Amino acid sequence: MNYSALFIQLLPEAVLVITALLLLGVAVAIEAKTQRPMPIDLTIVISAMGIAAACAALCYCPANLESGTTLLAMDPLARIFKAVVLMLGLLAVLLPPARNEIKQPGEFHALLLFALTGLLLTVGTVNLLFLFVALELASLSLYLLAGFSRSAKAAEAALKYFLFGGVSAAFFLFGLSLIYGFCHTLMLPDIAAKLATGPLPAYAVVGLVMGVVGLGFKLAAAPFHYWAPDVYEGAPATSVGLIAAASKAVGVLVLVRLLLTGFALAGGSAAWGAMQPGWSLWLGVLAAVSMVFGNVLALAQTSMRRLLAYSAVANTGYLLVALAANGTMAAGSALFYVVVYGLATFGALAVTAAVERDRGDDSLGSFAGLVHRSPLQALALLVFLTSLAGIPPLAGFVGKFVMFSAAMAETTTHGTPGLTWLVGLAAIMSAISLYYYLMVLKQAFVREAADPAPVAMSTSHRLAVLVPAVLVVGLGLFPALLLSPLAAALKATPGLGKQPTQSPPCNRQLRTN
Amino acid sequence: MTPAWTLISAFAGALLVLLLPARAAGLARVIALAASIIGAVAAAAACLTKLQRLDAPAWSFDKPWIPELGIRFHLAADGLSLTLLLLTGLVAIAGVLFSWNVETRPRAFFAFFMTIIGGVYGVFLSRDGFLLFVFYEIVILPKYMLIAIWGSTNREYGAMKLTLYSIGSSALILIGLIVAYAASGGTSFDLNDLASFKYAPALQYWAFPILFLGFAVLAGMWPFHTWAPTGHVAAPTAASMLLAGVVMKLGAYGALCVAMPLFPQGFVEWRLVIAGLAVIGLIYGALTALQQKDLKFVIGYSSVSHMGLILLGLATATHWGLRGAVLQMISHGIIAGLLFGIAGRVVYARTHTRDFSALREFDLWRTLPGAAVAFTVATAASMGLPGFSGFVAEVAVVIGVWHSYPWLLLPVAVGLIVTGAFSLRAMHRAFFPERHALAAPAPPLPPLTWPEISAIALLSIFSLAIGIYPLPWVTLIDDGLRSPLFQSILSLP
Amino acid sequence: MGKSCANRFAIIWALVPLALVVGMGTHRALPADGILAHWQSMWLPDADIFLRFAVDGTSWLFLLLTSLVTLFALAATAKLGLGGRAYCALVLVLEGMLFGVFTARHFIPWFLCWEMTLIPSYLLIRLWGGPGAPRAALRFFIMTLGGSVFMLLGFLALQLSVGTMDFSKLAELASNKELVPLLAKTFASTGCTGQFLLGAVAVCVFLGLAVKLPVFPFHAWLPAAYAEAPTPVTMLLTGLLSKMGVYGLLRILLPIFPEVLPALAPTLMLLAVVTVLLGAVAALAQRDLKRILAYSSVNHLGYCAMAVVAAAAVQTDRSAHAAAISGTILQAFNHGIIASTIFFCIGLMEQRSGGARNLADFGGLRARAPIFCGLMGIALFASLGLPGLSGFVGEFLIFTGVFALVPWAAAVAVIGLLLTAVFFLRLVRLVFHGPLHPACAKWPDLTTGERWLLGPAIALIIIPGLCPQVLLHCLNADTVRLLDLLHILS
Repeated sequence: MNYSALFIQLLPEAVLVITALLLLGVAVAIEAKTQRPMPIDLTIVISAMGIAAACAALCYCPANLESGTTLLAMDPLARIFKAVVLMLGLLAVLLPPARNEIKQPGEFHALLLFALTGLLLTVGTVNLLFLFVALELASLSLYLLAGFSRSAKAAEAALKYFLFGGVSAAFFLFGLSLIYGFCHTLMLPDIAAKLATGPLPAYAVVGLVMGVVGLGFKLAAAPFHYWAPDVYEGAPATSVGLIAAASKAVGVLVLVRLLLTGFALAGGSAAWGAMQPGWSLWLGVLAAVSMVFGNVLALAQTSMRRLLAYSAVANTGYLLVALAANGTMAAGSALFYVVVYGLATFGALAVTAAVERDRGDDSLGSFAGLVHRSPLQALALLVFLTSLAGIPPLAGFVGKFVMFSAAMAETTTHGTPGLTWLVGLAAIMSAISLYYYLMVLKQAFVREAADPAPVAMSTSHRLAVLVPAVLVVGLGLFPALLLSPLAAALKATPGLGKQPTQSPPCNRQLRTN
Repeated sequence: MTPAWTLISAFAGALLVLLLPARAAGLARVIALAASIIGAVAAAAACLTKLQRLDAPAWSFDKPWIPELGIRFHLAADGLSLTLLLLTGLVAIAGVLFSWNVETRPRAFFAFFMTIIGGVYGVFLSRDGFLLFVFYEIVILPKYMLIAIWGSTNREYGAMKLTLYSIGSSALILIGLIVAYAASGGTSFDLNDLASFKYAPALQYWAFPILFLGFAVLAGMWPFHTWAPTGHVAAPTAASMLLAGVVMKLGAYGALCVAMPLFPQGFVEWRLVIAGLAVIGLIYGALTALQQKDLKFVIGYSSVSHMGLILLGLATATHWGLRGAVLQMISHGIIAGLLFGIAGRVVYARTHTRDFSALREFDLWRTLPGAAVAFTVATAASMGLPGFSGFVAEVAVVIGVWHSYPWLLLPVAVGLIVTGAFSLRAMHRAFFPERHALAAPAPPLPPLTWPEISAIALLSIFSLAIGIYPLPWVTLIDDGLRSPLFQSILSLP
Repeated sequence: MGKSCANRFAIIWALVPLALVVGMGTHRALPADGILAHWQSMWLPDADIFLRFAVDGTSWLFLLLTSLVTLFALAATAKLGLGGRAYCALVLVLEGMLFGVFTARHFIPWFLCWEMTLIPSYLLIRLWGGPGAPRAALRFFIMTLGGSVFMLLGFLALQLSVGTMDFSKLAELASNKELVPLLAKTFASTGCTGQFLLGAVAVCVFLGLAVKLPVFPFHAWLPAAYAEAPTPVTMLLTGLLSKMGVYGLLRILLPIFPEVLPALAPTLMLLAVVTVLLGAVAALAQRDLKRILAYSSVNHLGYCAMAVVAAAAVQTDRSAHAAAISGTILQAFNHGIIASTIFFCIGLMEQRSGGARNLADFGGLRARAPIFCGLMGIALFASLGLPGLSGFVGEFLIFTGVFALVPWAAAVAVIGLLLTAVFFLRLVRLVFHGPLHPACAKWPDLTTGERWLLGPAIALIIIPGLCPQVLLHCLNADTVRLLDLLHILS
């Protein structure tokens, strides 16, 4: 056990924790001195610096450091995603809460940093129990963050989140225990090795299903999504931003690690006409249900936040389509898409936060004439929503295209249609989603503004809108910037993906037909 | 000047227009005009160079983009694409000229306009399926914005209907492309690679209609055409010109250069259905146009009818038929631009009505003789009168139909006759109404402005040029049809 | 540019083609194949479609007619107070297209120019015409278009089976009797004989030409169009556009379809004869001067149709054929000049009377305007066919030829001649002689400008009547060539 190496590997998390404690200390000190809570700008600055320091620590950590512990796995995938989570966390920090919404900003941002710590730890492990612990650290922080503003809506949101989350955590843990019962190991690579010797017995399958259910809640997959609309609506914008972006990204990564590293051989197939039992089929069904539910229910929404919540459900569906393909490239594209999606949703939430603070509520009518009031915000909203709708040349389109292509390519063999039914459904649902995004854009660009004054926003708020917009456009034009590292990381991660038994040799047969 | 300048000029123009400060909003139209002219000149130069050196290898630009999926940024221009690029350039210039007087939010208007033009250029230049799809989709949102903000009759409904049909059909294209990609081994999205792969006939049987339908909806194939008249009528003049003149041709181009080469056996299976639907569209569009009371609706339905002729040419799978289809694409692009330009900009902006009975009060040939002459020329061209481009295209398609489905000649003839009838009726009712001799003289109208005259002249001259001397255009089209993409189609029984 | 400026510019511009045509005609010697000038350009080479124009003797005569009548019409425009930029532009475009029609040697340039005359003539009738102009113009447009569609279909059938639409090549193939088997082969699926198919194609082509000529029953557009159009436009219509039909008969129908025309001849001859009679009878019944002359045009052009059909009907008697064909061309040329002159005179009358042109509005003009009546009288008598004036030559040759080939037709057509004499003499009596109509009491005689216009026209009517060799020597070589092509034996 090389403790110095371990320390270096855990440096980012340590920095975050120290910053959080620092924040708490400073908050108490200031409040004791001035009888008023800490100014929010100070907390933002301190938190941002802390996250930046954590980023630096992450870069400082060399790639192939061996610390001898099985709890941590600093493979390239983890490094990339830790960076992603930190960036998303930084953006969330930059998004200030509304005036008088948060009474104790110090505690708020400290909780945020704890949540980030938990997410970072989740990313960097292949030990199932440690994964659970880290996930719970993040989740508990997120529950508190959701209810922080003490309004009735926030309280309801937090309660729902906590109840759902608690139940799903229980599911996850019970599932883990069943799996352990079969595999006698908590390490995912060892589980894969155990699976190579023989199929999963029934109780382990139940365990796997329960594990997926637990994670499905985290991702807001239907039918485990019932917390999402209320949480998106009631919680403070910063918390929602974190939940929508970072939490979801980590959720997808965990799913990728769990299913593709550990249970790749139990995947089965969701191909039409060639279905085999396995988690692939299960994910396919979940995907279909999520896409349909999410898009159809979003059509009827008049509140922007609830619309984004249902859009989150739908996007989970698209992600699950890619994961159901049980392939490396598909998984890489799913990871790419979840980052891009996170950026777009976060950006949309940031603009929504500004508008609702200005107009009083987040109904679609509040966006009326945004292009006349604050053209840059309207342009950014255009970027985010069109990315979510999947319109080129933005990253959302590239992500969806790459996901669907990879999903099809990895499952279409021997002339079977493969996942065409799922991809077809996804394409059509994605087309339908343009309708409700256009509803918002119509308000922003076509309608006249009631009040021509620009929407008031602080500098950090503007940054929180600008940075995702630039990233979404940039990743749309040069997707290889993120996609190539992800693909390479997935290939380099030991044990990821089942051994290739299907690819080019079979396709040659097609050529002669 | 390579053909890439068309793309560059369009998108650069859009960006420049957006960056203009509010005080200089009047410069927006100048920048847009400059960008359109540069694009058109680049296209024309490329056409001329190609004509002089027919055997020289086609211009091409190829860089990897997303290597993991085999997606490349691959642009290329053969003769066929060059003619369509030139068409786009012409319609772009005319569109900007016809929109010279846009007062509300001109920067946004011209930015959206140039984005659509850039997207269209991109589709015609792309040789990679992903890239083609990117440019195809870029056009969708600006279309919605142009109609919803600057449109007229029922604009929000028309805009939403048009956009939803567009995105729905794009979803079908996406599915088709991804199926082709996956079935060919998932190694490359390049259209030449996809087309040279021999897919299983069973796969082609269901994949072809999906892909073709995706393109055909945008091409206004009956019965999926209902978005077209509503959308075109709702759109402002320049947008109608673009939509009917160029964007609908994207669908036809996609059907010709993507759907048919990728799945030739599938095409054979479904050829007859396509031909049937095309003829029905031809006749249905013409008959419906005959009954309209609004000038722009007549033109909208006439577009559906003319696109039916294009799809029929495609379905014949003969050299003459394909030639005729592309000629009709060019011809109808110019003519639709001319018709919508006159109806929208010259007439509607002055009289604020497009209804025939209301227009009768304006006695247009006396008050706007220039518009009357221009519309007469446009009607002659639209009817397929010899000397104009429509005639050459129609003759070519008819010869193609004769070679493949001779029994369809009768319905086609009926359709063409009804086309003549409604064109004549529209021209008569709108511009040469029979007024009572004692009716009060019509109020005077502002004369034609120089931008309008230039645009009308530009489009009319090109239509006349193609009609009188089609040889260079046919040479370019044949150059495109010689590519290996079409050999499997043209060698069909 | 003001109206008079535009008119003057157009007149000067129209002198250029006249000069060119006259220059072309003063060749030292005629080349062996008779082609004075030739121009060709590629259109769609792989379908054997070229833009081919050539001028031989016959074409030259029609070109001369076109440039003369157009100049006359433009000058009349200025005289009668019409004109303007758009008007003159349309007239010049029309003239250009007519040049194309009369020199085209391939169907595509022919058809292009044929159709492109539609729009200018439609606009000229519609925009500057009388109260009934919209309906008349529309009917003219639609009927001509309808006929053209049939012509197009016929030639498309030829293109698909034979592979060419070139007039000379088709004539050669017809001469070698190769058209019938080729048609039968291509359209074998329809189960018709080659003879039937060629006949169908011939009928289609005839329909297109028949509307222009016009032949009963496709003449319905003519009286209204001639009457409603402004007088200079009527001059163009009668002088030139109707000659397109005659030219087409000679250049297309006769050389390409000799195998089937004898079978169709009885029907066609019947139609031609009915046209002749109908024209004459209807003219008798009219009271409007312009309508009288319109029906008289129908009558005169009926003679041309008769002659061509007769030439097609019978395969022997070379001299009769020569007479019929040269008579047709001469009749076309002379009628063009004569009819335009008469319509110009009517235009002058209309201008002086303030728009009235009914027979009842005039009377005893000889007393007020003797020169005018004298000149108009010469033109009217020429139209009648008085020997010594140009109208006689053409009619005489036609009747000689037709009488030798299809005697019954000539016999019946003589009735037409008689009726023509009747209505013309009646016109002369009612308008020139008799008591002076009160409305015409203050009429001036011809002004100097009008004399300068009418003078040359009348000269052109008298000279060919006195020495028809002037015109005939252009035609002889072509006529011989045509007869050889048709294998007409002595």
